[in-house]
Amino acid sequence: MDPELKEIYDFFRITPPFDQLPNEALERLVPSMTIRYLRSGTHLSKLDESDEKVYLLRKGAISLISTDGQLIGKLGETEIYSTLFTQDENGQFTAQTTEDCLLYTLPAKVIKELMDRYPPVNNFFAKSAAQRLNQTVREKSKDAIINSTLMNSSIAELFNGPATTIGSSQNITEAAIKMTEFNHSALLVMDGSELVGILTDKDLRRRCLAKELPLTTPVSTIMTADPQCITINHNAFDTLMLMHQKGFHHLPVIGHGTVAGMITVTDLMRQESQNSSHLTGLIHKAETIEELIEASKLLPSVQVKLTRLGASADHLGKSVSAITTAITCRLIQFAEAKLGPAPVPYLWVAAGSHARYEQSSHSDQDNGLIISDQMKPEDDIWFETMANFVCDGLAACGFSYCPGKVMATNQKWRQPVSIWNSYFNSWIDTPEPMALMYSSIFFDLFAVHGESKFLKEIRKKLLNKTKRSTLFLALLSRNALKLSPPLGFFRDFVLVNDGEHKNSLDLKHNGIAPIVDLARIYALSEGISSVNTINRLRAAAGTPSLSKEASEELIDALEFLGTLRIEHQAKQIKDNQPADNYLSPKELSKLEREHLKDAFKVIRSMQKVLQSRYG
Amino acid sequence: MLNKLFSLNRQREQLLKKAPEGTLKNFLSEPFPEPSLPINQVAILAVDFETTGLDLKNDKILSVGFIGMENSEILLSTAYHRIIHTEETLAEENVVIHQITDSAREQGDSLEFVIEKLLNALAGKVMLAHYARIEKHFLERACQKLYGLTPVFPIIDTLAIAKKRMDRQTAPYSPSELRLPNLRAQHGLPAHHAHNALSDALATAEVLMAEIEMMKSNKPPPLKNLLL
Repeated sequence: MDPELKEIYDFFRITPPFDQLPNEALERLVPSMTIRYLRSGTHLSKLDESDEKVYLLRKGAISLISTDGQLIGKLGETEIYSTLFTQDENGQFTAQTTEDCLLYTLPAKVIKELMDRYPPVNNFFAKSAAQRLNQTVREKSKDAIINSTLMNSSIAELFNGPATTIGSSQNITEAAIKMTEFNHSALLVMDGSELVGILTDKDLRRRCLAKELPLTTPVSTIMTADPQCITINHNAFDTLMLMHQKGFHHLPVIGHGTVAGMITVTDLMRQESQNSSHLTGLIHKAETIEELIEASKLLPSVQVKLTRLGASADHLGKSVSAITTAITCRLIQFAEAKLGPAPVPYLWVAAGSHARYEQSSHSDQDNGLIISDQMKPEDDIWFETMANFVCDGLAACGFSYCPGKVMATNQKWRQPVSIWNSYFNSWIDTPEPMALMYSSIFFDLFAVHGESKFLKEIRKKLLNKTKRSTLFLALLSRNALKLSPPLGFFRDFVLVNDGEHKNSLDLKHNGIAPIVDLARIYALSEGISSVNTINRLRAAAGTPSLSKEASEELIDALEFLGTLRIEHQAKQIKDNQPADNYLSPKELSKLEREHLKDAFKVIRSMQKVLQSRYG
Repeated sequence: MLNKLFSLNRQREQLLKKAPEGTLKNFLSEPFPEPSLPINQVAILAVDFETTGLDLKNDKILSVGFIGMENSEILLSTAYHRIIHTEETLAEENVVIHQITDSAREQGDSLEFVIEKLLNALAGKVMLAHYARIEKHFLERACQKLYGLTPVFPIIDTLAIAKKRMDRQTAPYSPSELRLPNLRAQHGLPAHHAHNALSDALATAEVLMAEIEMMKSNKPPPLKNLLL
């Protein structure tokens, strides 16, 4: 290499996609280029160019303006303006210098040769924003897959079978002998070919030895009857999360309609090399609020560990949310122990990111109580006391009170089923601003503890209604479209729609929330009962609301934004700073900025579709 | 100015008659660009020499760098850089500046070879340099030595252009503002690797493009407005 062109070569070495090229390719590229200088205010389209060109901005700034006069992007140093393959998602636009510019012009012929030989160059120029994003997410998730085989495994690969069983009329001694013989900590209790219960060594200790029951007692008296089961094709990670939430150590596995075996937390944990289960263990063991507070202090470190292990944002969201569920359940158990049993059945629900199983760290609490319609006015004092106990406990565990008072302590959100039904009806029928705000909170609910059928019934009714409520969906859509992603970056700033520059990117409001909102609208339009955003997008794929391709593109965008967020927050937690959603462009590599721009494009294009549908 | 160039082309024709066969004659047989031509239609060669010192009589050319401009574009394909094999060893204080070491010098090309390349590239073009006096005199002297004849060259000097522009402004300025790196900074051009002949030639060409953009009203100025 000629040292005299060092600054040019150095410049290419920091400029994607050319930074991926070996020296010999740069030595072919650099001599083929020309340099020009354009004064501010020059239209690039007016340059006398008969053929396609790729312009690399060495110095200066270029604005991209759509045919209707809107600023759609602004380029700075090291960025590329290309007339190659102009099937851009933004449609037709013109480019104009907004500062004096020094431009490197690269001939299309040489770029095409490089595209043939070097995949990174090909990806950069030939693929659409969605395709590039997909590739990035695939590469990012490779680490996660290596580290977390559970995400990609089903129970079928991990469970122990055939099941070790015992007849329900056999006695405790026989059970103990069988457990010892097979070295199993649990047995499935059968009545003929029917599973009737599960018996663990803990049951032997707690329900037999501690109570001094005769060893000839039939196992049916000390077993847990009608145990929850899991089907053999269930995802292993989701199973682990379920077990964490409920505090189960053993689950019977059902395959092809019959009992196939058993899966234990240990089986799953052997695969999962981290400690979220250690934490849920502490939570389930906690006997006092103080112990629970101590345990929940470990939540940020679990978040950091999971992130360092390469967990995806989806994986992390599920883990953190499962831990929050476990803490909430334990608090409710404490409350019940203190206050005595509830006067009528009830369901504790979580809303917001906890409900969607997308929590990333200690977030504000959003919750409510759905109480049986059998409730009498005087019963409310029990629920109010319980709600205060649980919400105070959550706050002590690091989940701040909801500033908007969306909590079970607020009487408005501590109501019988029929009132909840009427809330939803009125929000859908009279979608005024407050109603739309409540809709976006309470259409994402999760049954934490109690009668989950209450929520199922409410949800079924409301989904039937929303599907047909065009006005409601239109207004909800319009509301959702208020949050839009930025245009991209300009130098070390975030470029927002009106051409303004900002110092930081709000990952939550300008990236993740718009996707969450889109997914909620698709779910409500199509009667989809899931609340998790990825599940909603998967379920909506191929419906009139969302094409399969668009669904995958939005999932990719969400995963990419989510990964940036958890990495950012893990870094903050490690540095003893409060975790937030604000990312400085300086923290981002050039490539990450390019990928972010691609993610923004995907979101914006789906927002446009929604706008034209309900606009 | 017009007369000056007219006489330059006339002088070229006179010299052509005396020139020996070969490179210099070929160079002189190509007419210089018409002074009335718009600058964007003029072929330009940006040239820079690194020398053993600034003594026009005794110092030697150490390296030559040049790069061509056409249609307001710098063509990287025309970039050229050679170190010249001079006899005497290099003074340490200069090596610090141009970073050409004795071993690089020993592997260099002969003065004749490099000047031939330069004259071939320069034929029919305007020579561009920053503070062109140095390049002009060293090139004239080299030609005298190699061919026994001192040719003429149409020259654009970015220092002279910038000085003229700043003299027209009422604000006083320091002469150091006319130095190549400072002029580049003034035009918002990126920093460059100074004291390498090709880098300086390229840096000068970029400054010329910026100066031309500042001179433009609605059409490019004619060559005669820029000539030294």
